[in-house]
Amino acid sequence: MNQPSCLEVRGVSKTFVEEGRRVHALDNISFAARPGEFLTIIGPSGSGKSTLFNLITGLAQPDSGEIVLECGAVRRRVGRAGYMPQRDLLLPWRTVLNNVILGPELDGRSRREARQRARELLPLFGLDGFENAFPDTLSGGMRQRAALLRTFLTDRDVLLLDEPFGALDALTRRELQRWLLDVWQQFRKTILFITHDVEEAVYLADRVLVFSARPGRIVKELVIDLPRPRQSLSRLAPDLRRLEGDLLSALEMGNGS
Amino acid sequence: MRLPGQSSRSMLPILSDLARVIMLALVAGGMFTFFAAGSLQLYQEARAVENLTFARVIPAPAEIVDAWHDHHDLLLEEHIPETLWETLAGLSMAVALGVSIAALMDFSRLLRWLIYPLLVVSQTIPIFAIAILLILIFGFGSGPKITVVVLFCFFPITLSTFSGLQTADPELLSLLRAMGASSRQIWFKARLPAAMPSFFAGLRIAATYSVVGAIFGEYVTAQRGLGVFLKRSYSSFRLDQAYLAILLTALLSMLLVLLVNLIERLALRWYYTTRRKSWRGPGIY
Ligand SMILES: Nc1ncnc2c1ncn2[C@@H]1O[C@H](COP(=O)(O)OP(=O)(O)O)[C@@H](O)[C@H]1O
Ligand SMILES: [Mg+2]
Repeated sequence: MNQPSCLEVRGVSKTFVEEGRRVHALDNISFAARPGEFLTIIGPSGSGKSTLFNLITGLAQPDSGEIVLECGAVRRRVGRAGYMPQRDLLLPWRTVLNNVILGPELDGRSRREARQRARELLPLFGLDGFENAFPDTLSGGMRQRAALLRTFLTDRDVLLLDEPFGALDALTRRELQRWLLDVWQQFRKTILFITHDVEEAVYLADRVLVFSARPGRIVKELVIDLPRPRQSLSRLAPDLRRLEGDLLSALEMGNGS
Repeated sequence: MRLPGQSSRSMLPILSDLARVIMLALVAGGMFTFFAAGSLQLYQEARAVENLTFARVIPAPAEIVDAWHDHHDLLLEEHIPETLWETLAGLSMAVALGVSIAALMDFSRLLRWLIYPLLVVSQTIPIFAIAILLILIFGFGSGPKITVVVLFCFFPITLSTFSGLQTADPELLSLLRAMGASSRQIWFKARLPAAMPSFFAGLRIAATYSVVGAIFGEYVTAQRGLGVFLKRSYSSFRLDQAYLAILLTALLSMLLVLLVNLIERLALRWYYTTRRKSWRGPGIY
């Protein structure tokens, strides 16, 4: 119960002012993630989910409230979480191998060791044999896996994944969801995962945070008590449908208010 | 799915480049023969008539070939190497200068406001006037000619590199910052590489100007170089030699542009593997 949390968000609000108009993006968000927990965040588009990630990574500052990262107060937050934005944003002029070692490279660690480690992980990430390929020659699913490997190799305890599978076709997405759970269990990372897909939110998570429409508030916190390792989606169907029902009604409530 | 590192793929572009050069040579050769035959006929007819000016102004192709036979030792050993040296030295310095100025302009808005008008003004001053000044100041060596080449070439490189530096994806820059990158790392790992395709577009323009710049500088005053050869030819009414110099200038410029294309394709493999299915590159030649 008294486990330290690796990420804690306390009463965070954020308002943007653009061309004289005020956009209230986040309103009094509070939650904490336990080490190794898989949290998914779901909410209508524009509810400030990506903004929350920008605040956690330190790219932007909250108007009020505070964010504690890495099991203890850290003054300089930038670079403390592994961040994977909605677009894969691989460097087009780098090969897959040189893309995925970006994190260690920016930290000033040895590139050779980083490459060594990356090579060992390529098969797990389904990128075996593609280390010298340029990103634009890869399929969407492979690019996404490369971006994920880059995020894992940053060696951060907390990973922020912003709709990583949003742009993929349903089949590839399901395959990658199961694979992500495997990888997560091997690496024991704390993951915050944004999605707009109800099924995905439930299937992956220990806990789902439901955001309301703008301004984003947490309208519901749903604990997913399905056993792990999770079976395939079809086997889980009845349980999933029940939880999805709960989620959908929470989403509708959040939209209505 | 294509497998990476297939060497046959990466050799293809150079081969197809060769094929294109051969094609070009064939077409050019065909046209040249056609016009050469035509002008030979014209020339001989004109010879028969006294006082026909164009007979004196347009040498017969055979005369140009003769001029080459008479002077190729001198040209190959003295004039062309000198011009080539000035061109390459000037172009390299223009690259260094252009990229540095672009970086400065990219670095701060204030510098951009200060430098930009100076850049534009530098292009409105007649190079002729500057060239004479330079020679008065620095003497007859190759220094002033290299400076003229730099003046001709740095502008397109500066502008294209600058606009290239601005093209880097802002979301990518945010990602790097979120990963803890310093501004320096962001510049070298994201902005500079993103500027490269644009830089090469500028370099290609600069390369086409560069030989002309060197010859222009030599023409004003020099001891060696194609420009001197050209000037001497004109002052002794040896139009056959002048045409030879002009042809050689064109040839050098073309070879230089081809060289830039080749370097670009080797340096920007990522750009040409993706943007274009074949490495047709910039679409010239
Ligand atoms: N940098 C910014 N400047 C101004 N408005 C912003 C900025 N970032 C996000 N917003 C606004 O904040 C709201 C929430 O955006 P976002 O966090 O991207 O939503 P979500 O990821 O949940 O779809 C949107 O209305 C968006 O227009
Ligand atoms: Mg978003």
